[in-house]
Amino acid sequence: MSVSHFRKQSLLFLLTVLLLSLPFGFPQTAKAQEFDRMHYIYDDAHLLTSEEAVELQTLAADLGGQRETSFIILTLNGTDGKDIVQYVEDYYDDNAPGYDQPHGNTAILAIDMQERDIYLAGFKKAEQYLNDGRLDVIREEITPALSDGQYFQAFSQFLNISYEYMGQEPTSDSGGYTDYGSSGGYVGQNSYETGSDAENIFFQWWFQLISSLVVAGFVVTIMANRSGGRVTVNGQTYMDRNKSRVLSKYDNFTHQTVTRQRKPQNNSSSGGGGGITGGGHSHSGSRGKF
Amino acid sequence: MILHYKCPGCGSDMSFDAESGALSCQSCGRHENIENYPEELKSLRFSEDEANEYHCENCGAVLITDTETAATHCSFCGAGVVIADRLSGNLAPSKVIPFMISKEQATTAFQKWCRKGLLTPKGFMNGDRIKSMTGLYVPFWLYDLNSKVQVNATGTKVRTYTQGDYIYTETKYYDVFRDINLDYVKIPVDASEKMNDGLMDKLEPYPYDQLKDFKTPYLAGYLAEKYNYSHEELLPRAKDKISDYIESYIQSTLTGYHSIRIRDKQIDTKNQKSDYVLLPVWLVSYDYNHSNYIFAMNGQTGKVVGKPPISKGKVASWFSGIAVGTFFALKCVSYFMGGGF
Ligand SMILES: [Zn+2]
Ligand SMILES: [Zn+2]
Repeated sequence: MSVSHFRKQSLLFLLTVLLLSLPFGFPQTAKAQEFDRMHYIYDDAHLLTSEEAVELQTLAADLGGQRETSFIILTLNGTDGKDIVQYVEDYYDDNAPGYDQPHGNTAILAIDMQERDIYLAGFKKAEQYLNDGRLDVIREEITPALSDGQYFQAFSQFLNISYEYMGQEPTSDSGGYTDYGSSGGYVGQNSYETGSDAENIFFQWWFQLISSLVVAGFVVTIMANRSGGRVTVNGQTYMDRNKSRVLSKYDNFTHQTVTRQRKPQNNSSSGGGGGITGGGHSHSGSRGKF
Repeated sequence: MILHYKCPGCGSDMSFDAESGALSCQSCGRHENIENYPEELKSLRFSEDEANEYHCENCGAVLITDTETAATHCSFCGAGVVIADRLSGNLAPSKVIPFMISKEQATTAFQKWCRKGLLTPKGFMNGDRIKSMTGLYVPFWLYDLNSKVQVNATGTKVRTYTQGDYIYTETKYYDVFRDINLDYVKIPVDASEKMNDGLMDKLEPYPYDQLKDFKTPYLAGYLAEKYNYSHEELLPRAKDKISDYIESYIQSTLTGYHSIRIRDKQIDTKNQKSDYVLLPVWLVSYDYNHSNYIFAMNGQTGKVVGKPPISKGKVASWFSGIAVGTFFALKCVSYFMGGGF
């Protein structure tokens, strides 16, 4: 019988491992596979010459590589009847862009020529680094060029400023953007020191390892303590329900205090910050007209 | 078995006068009507030639059984016992829960329990090293406790709302009072010196519907440990046992607040009644790896308690299994949250 017990135990273990490793076997959805995650410029409204498009593609790949983020530019002629925010959210859900994985770090600049809408969105790491305030700054910075029809200039500005912001932790500086100039001259912080999602402790392997050891230690300790039997009675076991009760009580309101706090600063007039996509991805955002 | 009546005036024994149908005290001459004689002064005592007391010369255990049963070995250490006394005049238990599980059933149940141990060494799991299996009546005091609780507290309810450019946090303060009556009945506290208190607590609950009026024949074939502590001595432990119950009951009446701060709490617990009872326990002495392990089994429900040996190898394999599993699970979660694998 000890053999059968041992088998049961190892079977259980094997099953657990199998179960846990299952998700890796799932094929990615067909749609996500069609999408080329190395392609960043989608000029459906034909605003760029092919040289310009190539140059922006190169710049996006270069800057994005250093920040481990997909910088995507979409130019649209109509948004299938959707609102531009909805369009961008669906775009992220359906195409699953990201630097090193589907639904990864992504910053999207979308402009719609029909409504003359502009929307910027940041996902994952870009949601934190390109928060609503920072996206507002970028949007305000590039809107004049867009209104002038200087699309190439506006798009390269977007890439450069986003790149800069992706290199600075978003502390309390949200408004404090210094002018980085509009040309491609970005300063040389040539590598991003801590790897992707450094700020989220949950993604750190050492954190995961320590948690696993703590959980295992906890469970085994409980098992060891329970091996000797445990207390299975509680207050209900011995209480005489007929006689035990609240004899009298009161809840008298005495006084109240009210404190007030200024609401966190909203986005600028045009509004439309971040949100959550239908697929459950939260993001930052900034919308406006040009 | 003899009923004893203690004189409410001087404390000596009263005797029943058949002619007058009343109780009379030899020393102070007091008379009491038997109908309205207070229950708590009545006690049951062993009569002559009814029960014997044995002493273990090795561990000092004091055991009792009926005169028909010849006790030879100590239930706790297995050493020989010597007869010490006739038990006449000693306090007898008022109630008993008889053994429900026979020795054979107890042995089978114990072996089954051994097999279930997830951390016990393989050699232990066979359950074939039972050295002895002894049915023992363990002395308990069953307390009926009444607690009067009065609690004064300050509760707060918090509400936030937005108006204009501001977020307002409104905190309402309440003066809260609760007057609670709590009755806990038959709280068992073992009056045995030999039995580990923690072990005995884990054996609960006992099916109280099986409580029978004590009669000496229930002892036939079994040993009972003689009680070592009086109900006065153990009352603090009974109160301690219900203190957590009282706390959680108080908490359950203070709901609906965001925070509650208790300013004043009065708990007055009184002993309403305490009964000397015998509860059935199978003691299993088990030999493993040259060490002796003692387990206890509830003689009515079959619940087993006691510290089995722990296999280091099994602990290690469970530990690493769970750690690896959790690590993979976390990796998966982080992967789906977009943190990379
Ligand atoms: Zn008297
Ligand atoms: Zn002994």
